[in-house]
Amino acid sequence: RRRGGRAARARGPAGRGMAAAAFERRVLRRAAEHHYLRVRLELPDGGVRPNAAQFKQLVVTALRELHGEVGAALPVDVLTYEEKTLSAILRVISSGLVKLWSALTLLGFYQNRRCAFRVLQTSPFLLALSGNSRELVLD
Amino acid sequence: HAALSRRYVLCEVVSEDPRCRQCIEDRALGLAVRDAIARVHGDYGLACCSISFTGAGETGGPGGAGSLRVRSPVRVCPAVKYLNAYTGTVLLRCRKDSYRLLCSALPFVRYLESRAQRYPCFLNTLHVGGTIRTCQKFLIQYNRTQLLRLLQNCKNEEERQCIQKSLLSCSLTEEQSQSGDEEEDDGTE
Repeated sequence: RRRGGRAARARGPAGRGMAAAAFERRVLRRAAEHHYLRVRLELPDGGVRPNAAQFKQLVVTALRELHGEVGAALPVDVLTYEEKTLSAILRVISSGLVKLWSALTLLGFYQNRRCAFRVLQTSPFLLALSGNSRELVLD
Repeated sequence: HAALSRRYVLCEVVSEDPRCRQCIEDRALGLAVRDAIARVHGDYGLACCSISFTGAGETGGPGGAGSLRVRSPVRVCPAVKYLNAYTGTVLLRCRKDSYRLLCSALPFVRYLESRAQRYPCFLNTLHVGGTIRTCQKFLIQYNRTQLLRLLQNCKNEEERQCIQKSLLSCSLTEEQSQSGDEEEDDGTE
């Protein structure tokens, strides 16, 4: 397992008679601590919408069903939640991204009503979630 | 084509209730372990580990009409490979890819249930090996040291004599079928 980042270095070209140019390229793989997901909950059968606490409970329930107590203990945070559109931004530790995403995918019911989670964007940087090129409308 | 690797987990059932010994059977234990995996690792963990646990999982429905269904005596729990109710030793088998799920779920087995009776107990993991043979070697060694410890912990001379007598009297007899106790083959010590 690679912890932190692995740095790859490249040295600049050294011309004849000149000192080697000093540049260095560093590549960090999987260095981000958290991953951010923008999700939307779809309730096709309508009904009462969950508030923020109930939404978090739903996410934790989904994790518990698929991954048990270990999954339910995963540090997941709901950073923002809009009740009107049922969309939220979740933050999860990077090692738990696969567990969270698979649990959200396989969740089928909320209070005996059909439901589905749509993952709109995901990124290791929160700033990247501010713009979504898929929603661009080209005239 | 790679061979299917297995891991064999050797554990010991420890209980304060002496009646727990009688419900150490492969079905009760298999169910208890499966239950613990389901609680700790959810549906995913259960599916990972239970490929070996219930080999009869894919019986394919009621079969075709009129086809002969040959029912060989299918063991309920093929993942429990060895059981010794006297010492409480259990050998569990699982895939190499998912043995960590199994091992991490073993501390969550808190009771054994059989015939509507529940006995509190816990599982002590002794050894994880790649083959049954390595687990057997470890078990022989472990039982030797356990016997010595039991001898040291004797309270009175009577118990000591009793244990020494039984130790000296056990021996390895070659039978046609598999010989009885595999662990006590140091009868002359």
